[in-house]
Amino acid sequence: MADGPASPGGGGGSHESGSPRGGGGGGGGGVREQDRFLPIANISRIMKKAIPANGKIAKDAKETVQECVSEFISFITSEASDKCQREKRKTINGDDLLWAMATLGFEDYIDPLKVYLQKYREKQGDSKLTAKAGDGSVKKDALGHGGASSSATQGMGQQGAYGYMQPQVTHLKFP
Amino acid sequence: MRQARPYSGMFCGGVSARTGPHALPLARIKKIMKRSAGETADGGARMISGEAPVVFSKACELFIAELTRRAWAATLDGKRRTVHKEDVATAVHNTDLFDFLVDVVMADHHAGGDDGEDAAALE
Repeated sequence: MADGPASPGGGGGSHESGSPRGGGGGGGGGVREQDRFLPIANISRIMKKAIPANGKIAKDAKETVQECVSEFISFITSEASDKCQREKRKTINGDDLLWAMATLGFEDYIDPLKVYLQKYREKQGDSKLTAKAGDGSVKKDALGHGGASSSATQGMGQQGAYGYMQPQVTHLKFP
Repeated sequence: MRQARPYSGMFCGGVSARTGPHALPLARIKKIMKRSAGETADGGARMISGEAPVVFSKACELFIAELTRRAWAATLDGKRRTVHKEDVATAVHNTDLFDFLVDVVMADHHAGGDDGEDAAALE
């Protein structure tokens, strides 16, 4: 955010030559394009899904949205970071972000995000189990290694579902 | 590492080797987060949990879709079929929720020519 004024200067130059943005080529000095933005191909894909099939999207619109997304991430992250600061925690977790989004007016996103997280955690738990399950000692192994996260996974669904308003809890931390 | 397969059917679209099951690459999201995560009280870097970029991968998807839909509305208002950056700017200006983006689209509006001058003019 604070670097808002700087970014047009820094990013602007590469902007023009930016047609193969994210095309792998290393950036020059300063902050590289690929450190500041999400890949435009992914953004473009999501944009296309949001409009009718007969609609088109100009490149300048994609690039603008690309910048907006980075700003969105910064906006939410700063708010979440302030909260961690106040609560003297070192790690920004998923619930902090949900809280920040709710605070900043994006409460419509909360429910879909909770669903997404829930699925992610279930899958994460599953793959941990299958990954660790040699043959026999599945349960034990899972508890031993993945224990922290997979048991967190279970409890969290509920907690995460309502917990984003409460000051808490390190349970989201994954190593 | 993360396995893409089991997710693939679950979240539609945007699945690639690069992003795994998510529509947007988590490592990139984390990099952008780090830039604004600030520092802890003792001056250390603030840490980011593994789940936080996952939350953002979906949140950004929702955000992009919403911004695009609103921009598309502006495109239709202008009786056009191609979304341009001006439509995105209009969407931002018409939506309170997107107030934090006003500077971004403003900068973009003028960005046609000399960027340095533009940045100065904004301040």
